[in-house]
Amino acid sequence: MQTSQVPVTVLTGFLGAGKTTLLNRILTEKHGKKYAVVVNEFGEEGIDNDLVVDADEEVFEMNNGCICCTVRGDLIRILSGLMKRADQLDAIIVETTGLADPAPVAQTFFVDEDVADRTKLDAIVTVADAVHLDAQLGEHHEAEEQIAFADVVLLNKTDLIQNENLESVETRIRKINPYAKIIRTARCDAPLEEVVGLNAFSLDRVLEVEPDFLESDHDHEHDDDITSVSFVSETPLDFEKFQSWFGKVLQTRGQDILRSKGILDFDGLDERYVFQGVHMLMDGSPMGDWPKDKPKSSRVVFIGRDIENMGLKEGFEACKIA
Amino acid sequence: MQDSLTSEPTLNQRRRPSFEETELERRATKFNFGAPVTGSVTVGDSIAVGFGDGNVRIFREGVGYSTTKAHAGVVLCMATDGEDIFTGSDDGQFLRISSDNTVEEIASFGTKWVDCVAVIDGKYACSSGGKAHVWSKGQKKPSVLEHSSTVGGMAFDAKGKRLAVAHYGGVTIWEAKERRWKSSKLIWKGFHGDVCFSPDGKYVVTAMQENALHGWRLRDKGDLAMSGYPAKVKSFAWVGNTPYLVTSGANEAICWPFDGKDGPMGRAPVCVAPSKKQIATCVQALTTESAVFAGFRDGSVLLAEIDESKEPIVIKGSSGSAITGISLTSSLSHVLVGDEEGNVLWSTLWAGEMNAKSI
Repeated sequence: MQTSQVPVTVLTGFLGAGKTTLLNRILTEKHGKKYAVVVNEFGEEGIDNDLVVDADEEVFEMNNGCICCTVRGDLIRILSGLMKRADQLDAIIVETTGLADPAPVAQTFFVDEDVADRTKLDAIVTVADAVHLDAQLGEHHEAEEQIAFADVVLLNKTDLIQNENLESVETRIRKINPYAKIIRTARCDAPLEEVVGLNAFSLDRVLEVEPDFLESDHDHEHDDDITSVSFVSETPLDFEKFQSWFGKVLQTRGQDILRSKGILDFDGLDERYVFQGVHMLMDGSPMGDWPKDKPKSSRVVFIGRDIENMGLKEGFEACKIA
Repeated sequence: MQDSLTSEPTLNQRRRPSFEETELERRATKFNFGAPVTGSVTVGDSIAVGFGDGNVRIFREGVGYSTTKAHAGVVLCMATDGEDIFTGSDDGQFLRISSDNTVEEIASFGTKWVDCVAVIDGKYACSSGGKAHVWSKGQKKPSVLEHSSTVGGMAFDAKGKRLAVAHYGGVTIWEAKERRWKSSKLIWKGFHGDVCFSPDGKYVVTAMQENALHGWRLRDKGDLAMSGYPAKVKSFAWVGNTPYLVTSGANEAICWPFDGKDGPMGRAPVCVAPSKKQIATCVQALTTESAVFAGFRDGSVLLAEIDESKEPIVIKGSSGSAITGISLTSSLSHVLVGDEEGNVLWSTLWAGEMNAKSI
C-alpha cells in the first residue's frame, strides 16, 4: 500500500517579518484546502482553529553517531499524530521561531523514516522584512541561514522601502542564495499557490530551477558569512571519483555547507543524475533522459559558510574524466 | 479463459498477497470505520478501540459493538485499569469512559496535545508536553511531574509504586513516597518513546527514536542496548514465564529473554513469526500458550510460539494496510485486529469448541 505523502512547508523568518500575517491568510482564506499549521509564537494572536498545533521546537540529536543529525523531535511526534487523522490534509505548514536554524527541520525529513513515509518536505519559505533585512543580516547569523536555506524568499513590506533600497536588498539575498525565488509583497499578499505546494525538494524540481547568477560579484561592502559557489562542466564526470570526493566533502565540511544541489552528467550513465543535500544528508538518483535540444553538462551549487576556501572548485574539476 | 471482467483478477495477480485469506478471517465479522485504528486495549470480556476521528468503540463478546464519540481529534493514546478506559487526544482532553459509555473529562490542556496515558489500579496519569499529571485515589488535584522535554511514554510498575516517564535523554523513575513523588534518572542519549517495566519490576525498557530499544537494570542502572532493527520499534509485549519481551520493528517478532541475572545482556534474541519482506508493526501476547501475535505492515497477522523450530500459524492474510492494534478478550475467546485504514476484524479465536484449539 502506498499512502500519498502530505507536503510540508517550512516557514522561517525573523519576528515581525510577517509570518503571522501569512499564517492568518492560510488559515482564513477560502482556498478550499485543508491546511494544518504548526506554530510556536501564535499564542497572543488567539486564533481558534482546530488545525493549529502548538509546538515546542525541541531539537534532538539522533543517537546514531552523525554529529550533524539534529532533528525536530516535536515535529516527528506532531506529524505522526496528524497522519492518524480521519481526514486527509492537503498540506502542513510548520512555522519556526524567528531565531531558529532551519536545518533540524529539514533534516527531520531525511532522517526519520516514519516522517519520510507519510510526509514530504515541500519547500522552505523565508519571510524577510525588506526594511530591516539588511541590518538583521549583519547582526544575526540566523537571518543569514534562513535566507541561505530558502527555496522562496517572501520579501515583505516592500511598500515601506524605496525602490533602490529594495534592489540592494535583493542583491544581497542573491549573493547568499542565488537559487531562491524572490517574491516581493507588501502584506504577505502573494498567491498561496506560490508559497504552498511547490515541491521544491523533489529531485525533478532541482532541474527546473535555474540559478539567478549575479553578473558581477565584486560588491564586498557587506562581508556576508554565507555565500554560494557554483561550477559547470561540459566534460562528463567520473562517478566513482565524484562519489568519493563529494562524500568526503559532506563528511568533513557538511556542517558549513547548508545546502547543495546539482545535476550531473556521469560518464557511462545515459540519464541525468540529480542530487540535493542539507548539511551532511544527501538525496540523489538518476532522473531520466537529458533534454534533446541542449548539450549535456554538469552543474553544482553549494551554499554555505567559508565556502570559497574549501577547495571545492579543484575537487570538482578533478572529477572530470581523463 | 476470462470474459471481459478481467481487471480485478489481474490486479490481484499483480499484488499477490504473501499470505492468503484464512479460515479465521472467513468466520470473522469485518468492519471499516473510515478512520485509522490508533490503538486497542482489553477491558475484561470486551475490547476498546481508539480511532483517528475521536471515536472509541467497545466490542463485547456476543453483543457486538458500541460507539462513543469521545474526542474532537485523534485518540492518540489509551489505557485501562480493567474497568474504565482513559484516553488522550490532540483536542487537549484527558477523558475517562466508563463501561456504560459515560464520558467524563478529567482534565483539559487547551491547544496542547495529550500524548500519553498510563493507568494502574488506584492511579491514572497523562502527559502533555513535558509534564506528567498523576492522580491518586481520593486525590482531587493531580501531582504534576516536570521533565526537560516532551514526554514520549509513561508506564506504572505492576504495584503502582513507580512511574517511568520516557523523554529526551533517558527515563525518569518517579517513586511514590508518603504522598510525594521522588525522582531518579536513567540516562541514555537520544529520544525515548514508549516505555515499560518488566513484569518483575527489575528492568525498564524504552523504544527509541532510532531503530533500537534501550533497557536499564534498575538494581545498578546497567544499560542494555538492543539494536539492529531495520525499522522503529512501535510495539512490545511481555510474554510467558521467562519472560520474553517481544517487539515489532523487524520482519519477524524479536523476543528478548529477561531471565537469569543479566537478562538479555550478551544473548541473542529468539526470532519467530517470520514474514518474507514485511516489517512487524504490532505485537501482542497470547499468555496461556507462551505465544505471540505479530501484525505486519501488509495487514497480515501470524501467531507463533516462542520457539524458532515451530511453524507459525497464519491468523490473517495480507490485506494491504499496516496493523495498528491486536487485542484479545481476557477469556481469550475473541480476538480483534485493527489497521491504519480503519479496518477492524472481530472473531472468535478458536474454531468450534474452545478446547479443540484449532484456529
